[in-house]
Amino acid sequence: MKKAFLLAAAATLYTGTAWMVAPGFYDGFTPPQPYNFVCPPPQAGANLQPTSGHLVIKVIGGVSDANSAFTDDGQVVIGFLPGSFKVNPGQTTITVDITPVSPCPKPAGLHFSTNAYHVTADATLVKPATLVMVYSNLTTDPSFVYRAQSGDGPWENIGASSQARLWTIDTKTNTLGYFAAGFPSNAVSPTGAGSGQQVLPFIVAALIAAVLLAGIPLTIIRRRQAAGGAGADEEEEDEEP
Amino acid sequence: MSRETPLTAVARPALRVGVLLVYIVGVEWARALVGTAPYAAIPALVLGGLALAMTAWGWSRSSLGLGSSRLGLRLLGGVAIAAVLLLPAAVRAGAAPMFPVSLAAAAVVVSVGEEIAFRGALFAALEQVGGAPLAVIGTTLAWTAAHALSHPPEFLGAVAAAGLLLGLWRAVCRDLVAPIVGHVIADLAL
Repeated sequence: MKKAFLLAAAATLYTGTAWMVAPGFYDGFTPPQPYNFVCPPPQAGANLQPTSGHLVIKVIGGVSDANSAFTDDGQVVIGFLPGSFKVNPGQTTITVDITPVSPCPKPAGLHFSTNAYHVTADATLVKPATLVMVYSNLTTDPSFVYRAQSGDGPWENIGASSQARLWTIDTKTNTLGYFAAGFPSNAVSPTGAGSGQQVLPFIVAALIAAVLLAGIPLTIIRRRQAAGGAGADEEEEDEEP
Repeated sequence: MSRETPLTAVARPALRVGVLLVYIVGVEWARALVGTAPYAAIPALVLGGLALAMTAWGWSRSSLGLGSSRLGLRLLGGVAIAAVLLLPAAVRAGAAPMFPVSLAAAAVVVSVGEEIAFRGALFAALEQVGGAPLAVIGTTLAWTAAHALSHPPEFLGAVAAAGLLLGLWRAVCRDLVAPIVGHVIADLAL
């Protein structure tokens, strides 16, 4: 009885602590820090607003230098190769700015997993840049990165590379503009994780049902065995491998 | 034949605990750090899990809690543990994190490795030194410290509570099968 009480108390303690930081127990697959949403979903809890980024790229010998612009919270990184920009006569630097877009765009037929960001530069991009966007573990995995020339759209699918890091999606872009990662509203995320939110309650219900349905007959069998023969319920501590 | 003095009889198990503790927490921290590098997540999980499972070397199956008696109850206990671990996320379904399917096999390896290391070898070593209470408290603290790099600080309370639940099960039921089953199911579902 005391043992059962101890286990019940530990289960209750876990449920209470995990409830405060739902989902509670998950094992090392979390992003290093919570995602900063412009429009946080209800489950996000405490949320900080995302930050912007600013980069000054040097122009050396009429060629723009290689560099990467990123937001201060690291949620967007865009990398430029040498000569990525068409340099205007007399221009010695190129300025790149990344700004989170507010209010959040909600284009018809698309669901964005990330914030939308506006990336601008005071020169024209002439070589593809590498765009990396972090996404939250609290939202469905994005399938693609979308780009638009206006916050109102239209949004164009510019693909996605294979996942190099957890919780990031990356692609290449040949123009700057508005960027967000997401998936078509009528599609299931091809990374396959998107259905987890809907399935999880059923998994837990099935687990509880299994415990109840199998536990009762197992307990009855064990009690009968214990009553029928001495030593049937002995521990196995002295068993050799 | 060498005779064991009282000092070595105490020092040897304590030394074993220290070595295991440093090894296990070191593997977990290395796994968390290496796993953030590009394309390193799955290799880090698999290699980390295998490295943790190596702590079973030298222990008998029974001292790790891996006996086969009452297997039905042990498996059922694992299902019950999984239900408890997943319940908060299931009730607050919107807060369930998205687990990439590509990591499933690696997650199984690391779950089994962690249970063998924490509730198996480290638990057995601590129990030899100070009994079951020390084993439960020690594995819970080590488990929490091991996850300090991979989890945001606000999650460590839940991590510790999960470690306590799994450790108590190991102590009360003398069983590691259920913690392994519960841990694997929980990792796969989230």
